[in-house]
Amino acid sequence: MKAYLAYLSKRLVQFAVVVFVGINITYLVTHMTPINPVEQSISAATTYGATSPEAIEMMRQSLRQLYGLEGTPWEQYVSFWKRVLVGDFGPSLSAFPTPVSQLILRALPWTVGLLLVSTLLTWVLGNLLGGLAGYYRNSRVLKAFGVLSMGIHPIPYYVVAFVLLIIFGFLWPILPISGGATMASDRSNTFAFALDVVVHSILPVLSLMAVGIGGWFMGMRALVSNIVTEDYVVYAELAGVKRGKILRSYVMRNALGPQVTGLALQLGAIFNGAIITEQVFGYPGVGSLLISAVHAGDYSLVLGITTVSIVAVSATVLLIDLLYPLIDPRVEAR
Amino acid sequence: MRFLRLLTVATGLALAATTAMSQTNVPGVPRNETIILENPEGTIKNPGWFNIWTINAGGQYTGLHQLALDTLWYIDPERGLDGVWENSLAAEKPIYNADFTEMTVKLRPGIYWSDGVEFTPDDLVYTVETQIKNPGMRWSALLALNVESVSSPEPWTVVFKLKKPNSRFHSLFTVRFNAIWMMPKHIFEKAADPQRFDFNPPVSLGAYKIHSFDPDGKWYIWQKRDDWQRTTLGRYGEPGPKFAAYIDPGPPDKRVIAQLNHNLDVVHDIAPEGMFTLTKQSPSLKTWFPNFPFAHPDPTLPSVIFNMQNPAFQNRDVRWALALLIDIKAVSMASYRGAATLSPIGIPPTGTHPDDYHIPLQEWLASYEIDTGKSKVKPYDPTIGNQIADMLRPTMKEQIPTDPAEIRKAFGYGWWKPNPQAATELLEKAGYTKRGNAWYTPDGKPFSIKLMVEGDSRPILTRAGTMIVQQWRQFGIDAKTEVAQGTTMLDRRIAGDFETLISWSVETYGGHPDLSFFLDSWHSQFVAAPGKTQSPRNWQRWSNPELDKIIEEVRRISFDDKRTVELGRDYAKLIVREMPIIPLMAYNVFTAMDETYWTGYPTSENPYANPVPNWGNSRSMMVKLKPKQP
Amino acid sequence: MNTFRIFRDLFRYNGEFAIGLMLVLIVLAVAACSFFSPYPPMDVYVVPPDVPPSWEYPLGTTSRGQDVFWQLTVAIRNTLLFGIVVAALSRVISLLVGLISGYKGGWVDRVLMSINDTFVVVPLFPILVLFYFIMRDQMTWAMLAVITALLGWAYDARLIRSIAMSLRTREFTRQAVFSGMSTGKIVLQEHLPFVLPIVFSTTMNNINWSIGIEVTLSVLGFTDINTPTIGGMIYWANQHTALVSGIWWWITFPVLLVIMLFIGLFLLAISMNEYIDPRSRLSRLGGQA
Repeated sequence: MKAYLAYLSKRLVQFAVVVFVGINITYLVTHMTPINPVEQSISAATTYGATSPEAIEMMRQSLRQLYGLEGTPWEQYVSFWKRVLVGDFGPSLSAFPTPVSQLILRALPWTVGLLLVSTLLTWVLGNLLGGLAGYYRNSRVLKAFGVLSMGIHPIPYYVVAFVLLIIFGFLWPILPISGGATMASDRSNTFAFALDVVVHSILPVLSLMAVGIGGWFMGMRALVSNIVTEDYVVYAELAGVKRGKILRSYVMRNALGPQVTGLALQLGAIFNGAIITEQVFGYPGVGSLLISAVHAGDYSLVLGITTVSIVAVSATVLLIDLLYPLIDPRVEAR
Repeated sequence: MRFLRLLTVATGLALAATTAMSQTNVPGVPRNETIILENPEGTIKNPGWFNIWTINAGGQYTGLHQLALDTLWYIDPERGLDGVWENSLAAEKPIYNADFTEMTVKLRPGIYWSDGVEFTPDDLVYTVETQIKNPGMRWSALLALNVESVSSPEPWTVVFKLKKPNSRFHSLFTVRFNAIWMMPKHIFEKAADPQRFDFNPPVSLGAYKIHSFDPDGKWYIWQKRDDWQRTTLGRYGEPGPKFAAYIDPGPPDKRVIAQLNHNLDVVHDIAPEGMFTLTKQSPSLKTWFPNFPFAHPDPTLPSVIFNMQNPAFQNRDVRWALALLIDIKAVSMASYRGAATLSPIGIPPTGTHPDDYHIPLQEWLASYEIDTGKSKVKPYDPTIGNQIADMLRPTMKEQIPTDPAEIRKAFGYGWWKPNPQAATELLEKAGYTKRGNAWYTPDGKPFSIKLMVEGDSRPILTRAGTMIVQQWRQFGIDAKTEVAQGTTMLDRRIAGDFETLISWSVETYGGHPDLSFFLDSWHSQFVAAPGKTQSPRNWQRWSNPELDKIIEEVRRISFDDKRTVELGRDYAKLIVREMPIIPLMAYNVFTAMDETYWTGYPTSENPYANPVPNWGNSRSMMVKLKPKQP
Repeated sequence: MNTFRIFRDLFRYNGEFAIGLMLVLIVLAVAACSFFSPYPPMDVYVVPPDVPPSWEYPLGTTSRGQDVFWQLTVAIRNTLLFGIVVAALSRVISLLVGLISGYKGGWVDRVLMSINDTFVVVPLFPILVLFYFIMRDQMTWAMLAVITALLGWAYDARLIRSIAMSLRTREFTRQAVFSGMSTGKIVLQEHLPFVLPIVFSTTMNNINWSIGIEVTLSVLGFTDINTPTIGGMIYWANQHTALVSGIWWWITFPVLLVIMLFIGLFLLAISMNEYIDPRSRLSRLGGQA
């Protein structure tokens, strides 16, 4: 127990460091931008309508006050941290005065749902099939699956999503290729709405899975094929233990450990994939929000999204790392 | 292995469910009573925000400013439902006093907000006063600068006392694209702070009211009011569609697919290639021009804009030389695949402008002469439109009009003939020299030009710019494009941080000859010093005493004075002589309309409105649309 | 030639290596063709637009009047070059960090590794987008390569560190320390050769990763669209709605070629990995010491 506590505190410190460094990089980068949010808003507001040059100057002054772009850089930095600690990122500049946190909260469930479903499915399926492939080495179906998933694995998320979009959107148009739900769908009918959301998420989930599954499959297959040569497995087989039981209780179990750690290490990359996939399928999540914020030059929103992403991903990694020694008692907390 | 079988079955079931799903209808909003239009703003970040009087806070073209809001007057960029000028909430045209320091508005009685409250002069007074009181609002500055006081001395009359003479004050309340929309006093006065009030649900003054909207900002559905007769549109009859949905259909590919599947009745804009696909594959397609070039020419004028504060472009001969190096046919092909409506003068060739400006100026253009120092050249070529039509005929076949009048309407009234010889002479006259294959400036440096284009944000203009740069490069000028996307482009344009730029500094009413909409801001009093921020729209930072004189004269006469056309022609001639911008073409918008569910869209044969669905005037469409399906 | 023999053996006995090598060679050949392109790569409307694949234009022409084949040769060359530059730069960083961290241990190791872990965990894509956000049009091809390299070293640095750590306790390291060699010398002369194999195999994966980044960013329009790259080609095709316009060859061929590259590099990486498995190699080393 003591060892676990030491491990816990070490990991917590590391988490704090990662988040601190990450957010600082983001803050620095966003504040180096030459983009002036006041000019952005003025341009956007006056593009088509009647206006006069004198009026623009007046607008400029009142907006500068409204957006609160005053104070020294240090004061701004300190107030930024104070606000971040309570989850406040200030108002979005391209949707003023709506708070950034409100915009993110609206988009977050979509991304989290997408990530959760696709990551779990990918991980479970990949490991299961990989384990089977390592154990039943002569299965043709599994071999074919191995070749296929290995072929897709190195292709970037964007290309896979794009190809799926072409196939199911143009060549064989059976799946919705845009949005998170049908227009004017009745959200009070929970079951129908849930089904609608699931249908809309098939392609995004599928493309995330197609890329991700090969890695787990190959990793698990290699681990299992090592384990099956271990003495205890051979004894178990000689002793007449059923193959299914051997696979479940002796082989897979012991191979899962490294795959859990692997999941923690891959989360950042999976998150990247989700952002890109959302963009391809017009999914209403954090990724789409980020890209539209970049286009609108809204740096408070960009900063907010990046910060939330860093915290969320690192926190999940932390959680996995912390739970892992509890799940697998053989692993002594490092 | 059992698991694999299970997986297969599950996948099969999921696919079956999907196929069933994709045919379901939207509950309560029958497709045959709904018109679905594209909102080019895309997904709205802040869907529940309807307070359009704050700056840039929520969606605007979600149907909100087309269908739900209203103001005093409308000017149609085309011919209008009942003439170009429409008295909307106002009962008659603006009444000015002799020195333009007072404007009186007579309001139309009997118009109601969708919650049953009558629209009164109090709403107008409240709209003006609230925005003056809260300087961070969208039209605060414009109102504060102009309005000394506003009051309603007698029923249905509002009098504006102005701070200084302004013969165009009414344009603030006149919809071209948009204008100052009326605020519902009875709603806003209950809000603690009008700048932080979301106005959700919106109470509307137009013929439609909000039905529902996507909490993720992808669609808005508006429903026809039962009391549509008590709105300003009611005079023209009952609007056809019971519902109007403004949606984000995604990138251009998805828009084309959606329309081919009849899930999107009006596409706001697509790439020309997408439009050609639709003309080939969609039998129910309706476009502005029945034939090539299909697109609607907006009253905006993409041009090559010189930064006139850059010493390199201060010589008129250099600017003219660069214009004569442009092969406009190739530019038209590269940008619009030939579907461009060209203009040699600084006025878009759209709406009523050809009758007022382009046709009357033909003779002057044909006889216009430039002196290159070595020879005299008449650069104008009125047959360019025909040449483009001839060039396209082999591939586009009968889609290309043959009637000369039609050709001129579609492809414009001529442009400058490419003349590298004259360009060479003009450059030599300006002290430039050619050594080998490259041109050098008078002080011996290589002659280089950077042309700023917008990239992704305006693909058509990026293509035009790429072509122009290629032509300059082939002549021996070290020309390059610079991509400044979206907001960067706005920043740099306003800061004068460019050499040349493809964009527009000319925007007009389209349906009315008055040019003050953009021209007033071209007065030299507004030109910023180099390095300082230039206010819209004189991006070229051009100051010219002759121009100032024209502008000042325009300010002194009223909006409908016949002299505005004469002064406009003087301006057009001045631009040709000075060439501070090289006008290219109208900004053609490829609005694609589908006739599966609705007919009666505005077209060049029945030009009662601009079909482009994010314009405020597009509301006129609703009363002309007739259902196609029972 | 020793290396030559290794390659020959690999080619003969390792199917994955053979396929991978073939794929990469094909892609390289296409890239090499770019030097013979009859058209300047930046120019548009040099050939008739929208011609389907034919004898004259084997892969067809684009709506911008460019020959897809010749455009593709330049695009894949630039894309490949991007991958190689990023891989080279990021190898330098990961070697430095990995070797120093592994050799020094202690607080140096801890500091370096917390930075390292930050980069492993932090989602890189938002950060890259952020860089585009501030640099905008100054985001040139070279700049993007540097930034990508700065973000793409962490994972491999950890691998290298673990090897360096095991080397530290070896006899020859101790000898070198006693004979007064400096840290730099020990790391570079004694340790570097042992980690080179792993560097080679991670290079392949890193090239894949960085090309993926390049393609994704360009397709979204977050790079300099003037330089022809694979992502840039798809970007322009999307701008011209090539898919629904039936100009499928404009998208299909770049996508196919880049997928060939991805699979080829990946197969090379895993087959080389098998051959120079750090564990088996190290155990052999241990046997000798």
